[in-house]
Amino acid sequence: MHERLSFHIKRDSLIHRLNPLTKLALVLALVVVAFTAPWYWTPHILLLLAIIPLSMLGRVFPEFFKTATRLILPAATFLFLMQAFFQPIGEDVIFKFYFLDITQESLMFAFRNAMRVFVMVSTFTLFLLTTHPSELMSDLTRRGLPGQFAYVIISTLQILPQMQAKAQTIIAAQRSRGLDTESTFLKRAGSVLPLVGPLVFGSLVEVEERAIAIEARGFTSKHAKTSLHEIPDLASDKFIRWVLLALVILSIAANLWLS
Amino acid sequence: MAFVNLQNVTYQYPLTKTPALQNINLQINEGEFVAIVGPNGAGKSTLCYALAGFVPHFFKGEISGTIEVADKESSKSTLDEWVLNVGLAFQNPFNQISGAKYTVFEEIAFGLENIGVPREEMKSRVEDAMALTGIRDLADRSPYSLSGGQQQRVALTSILVMQPRLLVLDEPTSQMDPIGTREVFGTIRKMAEDGMTVVLVEHKMEWIAQFADRVVALKDGSVLLEGKPNEVLTSTLLAENGFGISRYTSTAREGKKQGLWKKENLPVTLDEAVEGFKHNA
Ligand SMILES: Nc1ncnc2c1ncn2[C@@H]1O[C@H](COP(=O)(O)OP(=O)(O)OP(=O)(O)O)[C@@H](O)[C@H]1O
Ligand SMILES: [Mg+2]
Repeated sequence: MHERLSFHIKRDSLIHRLNPLTKLALVLALVVVAFTAPWYWTPHILLLLAIIPLSMLGRVFPEFFKTATRLILPAATFLFLMQAFFQPIGEDVIFKFYFLDITQESLMFAFRNAMRVFVMVSTFTLFLLTTHPSELMSDLTRRGLPGQFAYVIISTLQILPQMQAKAQTIIAAQRSRGLDTESTFLKRAGSVLPLVGPLVFGSLVEVEERAIAIEARGFTSKHAKTSLHEIPDLASDKFIRWVLLALVILSIAANLWLS
Repeated sequence: MAFVNLQNVTYQYPLTKTPALQNINLQINEGEFVAIVGPNGAGKSTLCYALAGFVPHFFKGEISGTIEVADKESSKSTLDEWVLNVGLAFQNPFNQISGAKYTVFEEIAFGLENIGVPREEMKSRVEDAMALTGIRDLADRSPYSLSGGQQQRVALTSILVMQPRLLVLDEPTSQMDPIGTREVFGTIRKMAEDGMTVVLVEHKMEWIAQFADRVVALKDGSVLLEGKPNEVLTSTLLAENGFGISRYTSTAREGKKQGLWKKENLPVTLDEAVEGFKHNA
């Protein structure tokens, strides 16, 4: 079955060693700056001079590059095309496609928006690649995030692939009893109904059992929880977070000032 | 007084018509290894839940009688206090994976994190528990990637690591091969000799005969029979009430009718059967 259920790549690097909250702050700061800084080329510069170098510093550039080109680039390109074609701004038409006009302005506008989204998703990818989900949650719980909340997030992340695998098993089982899952859409939609029962009812029983299992392991204990992993939060982490906060404030201020 | 003490326990799940447990009286001493047997629906799992506090703290419904473990009464305690003394592992290992951890090591540490064990102690306790159940080599694997038998070992280890005084196991080896089952039974036996009290639901009679101190036979929510493993497991009462019987017992019982088994007592295990048939020759 699934041996890897998270994006996280276990490596030792400066980025990996940062406190998870610092990395989360980095993601948020880059996104806010990309969206608010009033200069046209900000997101492009962030990508070239911050995100890509950071992925190298984090020693995950190959994985980052793969995700960026295979997943994020197509999505950003789609966004770019949609906006370039359907954004009715600007006068000087540089390209005509039947009734659609493409103007210089709409091109520029679409390019920047696509870039912003690219920056947002790629920094988040970088974050996932270099941060172990349990470390993030341990750190956030230590800072006061309720344990139940952290549990729900992590277990959902883990359970989704499991549910998928189980749906596959049920489909296979029902197909072997003659269930038609491959003809027309309507027929198929009808024939998927029998899956719902086992999947949902099975899940309910499982939820009950799982609740018992984690309860048996002291999940609702009133003791202060401890954490297996030691998650460092150094002075440098705090310093970086302050710098990031300053950048965010500057960017928002510049946005208000200059526009 | 006995370490575990159930007095007239009757319990009925919500929306059901008959009680799942009826007037159960059971005393267990500290360090004793008690096996529970019974056909499907006899109430074995329900009894486990009652010992582990989930009846009545998790499953609602009607309960009467008293359940005491280590001089504390279940109904006067809360579940999170109760589980510090009583550990429960059950059959389906997949549903016992917390789902919040990415490696077996973290999975086993989960309970210790919850009850606030300091990091260094936590690590050494996890190491020790894994060594005990023979799963050290799984430490870095994802709990989801394991086989059923391996997951059962992880589930058992996750409870053992909490060092409960009463260990309640509901068919903990159902997905293990004979070698794995033997190892796990050996481990549990050793824990009992070191003072842990064990209650185990099991269908494999031969294992019970070899490892348990006492057997309780449940039927329709009541105790049908109770006593030394060999006495209970070879009783005709079990055969008449639809209990699973060791094939060595049924073979020898048949042999006795034909005059081929001359000993007074019937065997449960292969060794006893071989011994008895030799005795004839
Ligand atoms: N959650 C529940 N709600 C309602 N009734 C239940 C519930 N769990 C069990 N029962 C009923 O209680 C009775 C005893 O069930 P229990 O699961 O304790 O039997 P068991 O001896 O463990 O059987 P098996 O060998 O199948 O595991 C059964 O009649 C069962 O239908
Ligand atoms: Mg059961």
